[in-house]
Amino acid sequence: MKLQLSRRSSKQVGDFATVLPALLFLALFVYYPVVQVVRISFTNWNLINDNYQNVGFKNWIWLFKGSGTKYLLNSLKVTTLYTLGELFVTIVGGLMLAMIFNRMAGSFSLMRALVFLPKYIAMSSAAVVFLWILNTDNGILNFFLTKIGGSKVNWLGDKNRALFSILLLTGWRTIGYGMMIYLAAMRGISTTYYEAASIDGASKWTQFSKITLPLLSPTTLFLFVTTFISAMKVFQSVDVMTSGGPYRSTEVIVFMIYKYAMVDFRMDRASTVAVFFFIVLLAITAATMKISNRSVNYDV
Amino acid sequence: MKKSVMLILSLLVVCSMLFAGGAGEKAKAPTADAPKISYEVTEPITIEWWHALEQQYWPLVDEIVGGFNQSQKLITVDAKYIGNYATVNETLVAAHAAGTGLPALTVANTPYVAEYGKGGLCEDLNPYIKATGYDIDDFGEGLIVATTYEDKQVTLPFLISTQVMYYNKTMADKEGIVIPAKLNDMESFLAKATKKGPDGKTTRWATIIPGWDQWYFETFYLNNGVKIVNDDRMTTDLGGKASSDITKQFQNWVNKGYTYWASGTSASSVMRQNFIDQKAFSVIHTSSLYNTYKSLVKDFEVGMAWLPGGETKISEIGGSVLLIPAKNSQAVKNAAWVFLQYLVGKDVNMKWADGTGYIPTRNSVLSSQEGAEFLKRKPAFKAVFDNLDEINPRIQHAGWNQLSTIWRAYLDQIMIENSNVDTQLKAMSQEINEVLADSE
Repeated sequence: MKLQLSRRSSKQVGDFATVLPALLFLALFVYYPVVQVVRISFTNWNLINDNYQNVGFKNWIWLFKGSGTKYLLNSLKVTTLYTLGELFVTIVGGLMLAMIFNRMAGSFSLMRALVFLPKYIAMSSAAVVFLWILNTDNGILNFFLTKIGGSKVNWLGDKNRALFSILLLTGWRTIGYGMMIYLAAMRGISTTYYEAASIDGASKWTQFSKITLPLLSPTTLFLFVTTFISAMKVFQSVDVMTSGGPYRSTEVIVFMIYKYAMVDFRMDRASTVAVFFFIVLLAITAATMKISNRSVNYDV
Repeated sequence: MKKSVMLILSLLVVCSMLFAGGAGEKAKAPTADAPKISYEVTEPITIEWWHALEQQYWPLVDEIVGGFNQSQKLITVDAKYIGNYATVNETLVAAHAAGTGLPALTVANTPYVAEYGKGGLCEDLNPYIKATGYDIDDFGEGLIVATTYEDKQVTLPFLISTQVMYYNKTMADKEGIVIPAKLNDMESFLAKATKKGPDGKTTRWATIIPGWDQWYFETFYLNNGVKIVNDDRMTTDLGGKASSDITKQFQNWVNKGYTYWASGTSASSVMRQNFIDQKAFSVIHTSSLYNTYKSLVKDFEVGMAWLPGGETKISEIGGSVLLIPAKNSQAVKNAAWVFLQYLVGKDVNMKWADGTGYIPTRNSVLSSQEGAEFLKRKPAFKAVFDNLDEINPRIQHAGWNQLSTIWRAYLDQIMIENSNVDTQLKAMSQEINEVLADSE
């Protein structure tokens, strides 16, 4: 008995030692900064001055009862709209393309590769290119629009279009990724389901809605969670293409945090927004995982 | 799951409150019996200089830095292009917060002087000036004020510019368009210089107002009696009648199609292109871009004019200053001080002025034969030389960046969305007052 316990505890120590480097890494580069950000949200640190003080809940009051509230609400709205847009493009667009490209012919492979290729291009580089494509006076998109009789569109300077313009870039980059993930999952669905359904007289739509979609639900969940988290944290495309403008119509929450920290030198306020955002993301992700446990089908 | 989330959040708050005890540490004040600091460079040293001069100026940077390196036995300078002023600011502030990776010397955009000075980012140069007998009086008085924070000479003037109006001189001569000296004359000027098509749409803007940087439009407010930061340093007059009047005037000109409010990420380059393509008669921009405009424009002569004034006709200093980060070692600071003196020296300053569009900073140049020769080479600068006394330091306030962000966003909305001026300015001034009070 004693020997068994000793063997078990030495195994546990060994297991712990194996994960210790990863834990240390996480503690140093993830948990410690998170704790620091929470701490800074209770100070008046401006990033420059080393002599800062604790100010209690002043920054939190500014965020929820002061001038920060309307900007927070605006950023939450913009971020939600952007996230919904990216989720739609990645999941619905990716699924549609996967259905179209789910063929084995050589020409389709090439086209699949072409659709997926933008994912490899760095976001900042792609954003600079789109900046010029969408330029009102000298952009190629408006050039073609005027050639077919349309008028010039202010893609990035109009507050009603700017977010959509950013989503054009996002869609171009991510739709191929969604497609590839769905394609891989589709290849894993046994053809016997479809053969049996055909024999029973099921239409293509019935096969899609009753077989394909349910069996793709783990993939959809994966794409939903990963795309949701990355979309909520969008920054680079906004920074390069609009800098949050025109008049905050594309000011997503990460850009808001960046602006308070690096432009306004208000690290205290930036940290407060960051902590709030962390809590929101944590809660939504936890809720998503909980709901998904009930509705995702893992049988293939 | 709910329990786990609550546990994580509780732990975070507890940990942060525990760690928060570390905040509020005060830097040690120098004591009377502190050892005397030597400002001499005694050992070989390589230092880094961060600048924001774009690629077209790199040959000039290499020539000037190379000249310094050749003249020195102990100091070698490595010049590094960091990016535009905003990028330099971000990189510098991050390095300062981390306390590592700082340059020996760096440029900084003029509005950062107060925030950097207040935060203790810059070395106080007064002891260096005193120890080495450096002649600071050769800089204009306004330049000294602009580079000082609470009597500490925290920076020195480097590449200085001001707001001007570039106009199509060929077009002006041909069509008899006179550049207005007063804001009251703007309406007739704008009406004459604007061209519209049969559909009533503007085909040529009389001028373009940069909305992406408040520096360009703030003099219109200052010259018409608006106190952007009141004497109490905690409130603004931007919500008052004078501010409302000038804002309504801008909005009216935008609505009439005389001008457009240039805002957004590529607003500067689009505005410049519109001027080059003769889609705009004039543009309001920085004098430092004179060489750029001159080299890009092929079909007409570029004129430069002082911005229309009101009760006064002041402009504000733009461009960059030089500073030594305070967290550097004394050996690095000493070497940086030697290089700084070289960079702002009279001869080198003239090289910068000739090779870029920046203004000479030395009194001994401006009021001498050298200044006259400079004007012969760049006659358009007469508009600036005639008004040198009108160039003022920037408003220095630790909350200035926050103020300008808010101001720009509101004016964008007023001009582009045609929002109600008084309602917007009232909301804006309340927000600015909060920021000013919180930053002072």
